[in-house]
Amino acid sequence: MSWQLYIDDHLMADIEGNHLTSAAIVGHDGSVWAQSANFPQFKPDEITGIMNDFENPGSLAPTGLYLGGTKYMVIQGEAGAVIRGKKGPGGVTLKKTNQALIIGIYDEPMTPGQCNMVVEKIGDYLVDQGL
Amino acid sequence: MEAVVVDAGSKLLKAGFAVPDHPPSMIIPTQMKCLPADESSTDASLHEIIVDPVIRGFISDWDAMEDLLDHVLYNGLGWEIGNEGQILFADPLSTPKAAREQLVQLMFERFNISGFYASDQAVLSLYAIGRISGCTVDIGHGKMDIATVIEGAVQQISSRRFELGGLDLTNLLAQELGKSYPLVNLSISDVEQIKEQYACCAEDDDAYEKLQLSCPEEQHTLPDGQVIKIGRERYTVGEALFQPSILGLQAHGVVEQLVHCISTVSSENHRQLLENTVLCGGTASMSGFEDRFQKEASLCSSAIRPCVVKPPEYMPENLSKFSAWVGGAIIAKVVFPQNQHVTKADYDETGPSIVHRKCY
Repeated sequence: MSWQLYIDDHLMADIEGNHLTSAAIVGHDGSVWAQSANFPQFKPDEITGIMNDFENPGSLAPTGLYLGGTKYMVIQGEAGAVIRGKKGPGGVTLKKTNQALIIGIYDEPMTPGQCNMVVEKIGDYLVDQGL
Repeated sequence: MEAVVVDAGSKLLKAGFAVPDHPPSMIIPTQMKCLPADESSTDASLHEIIVDPVIRGFISDWDAMEDLLDHVLYNGLGWEIGNEGQILFADPLSTPKAAREQLVQLMFERFNISGFYASDQAVLSLYAIGRISGCTVDIGHGKMDIATVIEGAVQQISSRRFELGGLDLTNLLAQELGKSYPLVNLSISDVEQIKEQYACCAEDDDAYEKLQLSCPEEQHTLPDGQVIKIGRERYTVGEALFQPSILGLQAHGVVEQLVHCISTVSSENHRQLLENTVLCGGTASMSGFEDRFQKEASLCSSAIRPCVVKPPEYMPENLSKFSAWVGGAIIAKVVFPQNQHVTKADYDETGPSIVHRKCY
């Protein structure tokens, strides 16, 4: 099963009438496994910062979470597993699996709760598979 | 049917249907008495145990909480078994994840509700006064929370919780009165009443010093008929929030703690937070507290000077005693119709951990 199918069929699928703006599955080193068409171009040090926040929760909060040049305000996530960021009515959810990062970016009318459901569900499934 | 909003505090439980412009229909004490199952003993009063399901803001006795909620929902608010509605809970700051999960589990499995949502009390108190960003200083019976909220999200890093509240002030007052009247037997509930009636804050440090030396005294009649005079003890209680050394704690006063919390947030948000400071909670409604707070705040350096916000006129009086509940009523009107809450189907599919994903 190719990684692109995970993006197209699962992450970008409709949930309660809404869908993510963009999504990607990225390795811990920043290498892209698959991404949706309009996923922003991100920089390697943004991923380094994110991985660092999983190790030391709270390190991104003072400066903010950057992804593809966009600044997100860090809100309550789950230490070592989920980072959530907010930008106005939209935001981003990042779920860490054993070897990858699942990233989902949403905007209105999608709610943060719906984004979390999609991203974290795929993440949990991959963790169960050992990935 | 309207959603039910519940704010379980250490001393008072506020519950009611989500009607934002009114105070909650039920404001009952959280403390419960446990009567023995067998009535065979002739002297039943010896066996009454006082149970506090909520200690320092967090639910600690789940069985007692279940009984209390049973009473509130079915007897107080008129829910029928088989036709339960939706419920919104106001949680204090830093509620442990396990506690939230347990609450969701209790709600769906024992009470069989159709929808659930939980939100932080700090965010709700801000919604009650019509803001989405700001700081809240919530001084309750069991705890004091200083929280910074930006666009509806609590900044966990710069928010603080203190295990200091009305309960400690009551103990302080009991201690002080015990010094002045060693022979009088004062029960905690009497002292609690005296505190609510007489406690106030001096205008500033100097005024407090003067009052310590000479202070007009008021007479108070205890339930058992004895008369005691209350003088400077009432100001001592109010002062303890600004000088915790009175309580024997090595901590800064409440205004300094607030400034400290705000300074840990990135500076672009400072103005937003400072201009929208809310005082809420039962203990914060002590007479003279707000004025003293504002005065201490104006003594701060002009870069970080908090400014207390007044509630809107259409809100009921004494909003600070139940602002989290009113905020809950406001948000219930938005969250439940838009299906942003945890539904029974979601819970069945994912389990209690869904509360961390959907509610914040």
